[in-house]
Amino acid sequence: MRNGWDDEQLLGALGEAMRARQAVPSWFVEMGKNAYAWHNIDAELAQLTYDSQAETKEPAFVRSEAASIRALTFTSARLSLELEVGENSLIGQVIPPQAGTLETHTKDGLTTSRVDESGYFAVEPIPASPFRLRFQTAGGGVDVVTGWITL
Amino acid sequence: MRDDPTVVALVTRAAASDQGAWDEIVDRYAPLVWSICTGFRLSTHDVEDVAQNVWLLLVGQLGTLREPAALPGWLATTTRRECLRVVTAARRSERLGTELDEAAQFVADTVVDEEILAAERNAALRAAFAELPPRCQQLLSMLLSDPPRSYGTISTTLDIPIGSIGPQRARCLERMRKSSALLGLADVGVNFPGGDPGA
Repeated sequence: MRNGWDDEQLLGALGEAMRARQAVPSWFVEMGKNAYAWHNIDAELAQLTYDSQAETKEPAFVRSEAASIRALTFTSARLSLELEVGENSLIGQVIPPQAGTLETHTKDGLTTSRVDESGYFAVEPIPASPFRLRFQTAGGGVDVVTGWITL
Repeated sequence: MRDDPTVVALVTRAAASDQGAWDEIVDRYAPLVWSICTGFRLSTHDVEDVAQNVWLLLVGQLGTLREPAALPGWLATTTRRECLRVVTAARRSERLGTELDEAAQFVADTVVDEEILAAERNAALRAAFAELPPRCQQLLSMLLSDPPRSYGTISTTLDIPIGSIGPQRARCLERMRKSSALLGLADVGVNFPGGDPGA
């Protein structure tokens, strides 16, 4: 008997291997495959440098209307990404203002938004957490990515 | 035949920007990562968190893995470490002591070798199955289906006489046994013990 496996054992082991694979949900496998989007990406990392929610610890009912909009800032050596979390969308600006594209990466993949000459962009709807944003200029001279963001 | 199915080749190709090789790595070892997460009884949200980190860490280290052949071990260790991080964070918030953490660490250490071996064996078996001709795959799938199909049903569906199901089954399994995937498994000394070691 080669490998010491007779027909019954081999068939049984194959069944076990198939069941182990079938037990894994497809979203789990897809998430693993999508992670490859980060291969060979040497984008500059923008760190979270400001979070309005971290500053304001008092309960929601004492906050004014204006203060209830969450604002985040991500800073890299070259630029900052300023974000405001609206009801249905993320509004943001690249500082200093410049045009380019903004990729929103989630575990399910990525979507792309345009960044206009004034550096403004909008991501709608608000992406599922965690997500990360990557800003690139057309020539590829600027390539900045935030860490994973959980809202 | 597919390209070289060994882990080393897959890691090398994935490091050289071959998405197909990466997908195959994930297909092969997602069950290993999944079963470890399941063992820790994490919530779906925590499983996502763990898996996201494990695969991103691997993507970041593809070019620098010291021993690509040890990938399953690396994945198991990394997954276990990420699961422990999540579990420990949850326990801290429940104000439980470190004794439980140590117990979790011990359990994680002891089960992991068996899991790596089972994952290697299962990946090789699935690779060997994938190398079979479609007729063999159909036949073996039907024989393994749950609930089991009768020979009569198999005969009708696959359009083969009932009397030749047995001999064809034997030929398909022999073909599997001789496949490079299973021979490679024998080379690295992972022997099928004749039953499920966990049973």
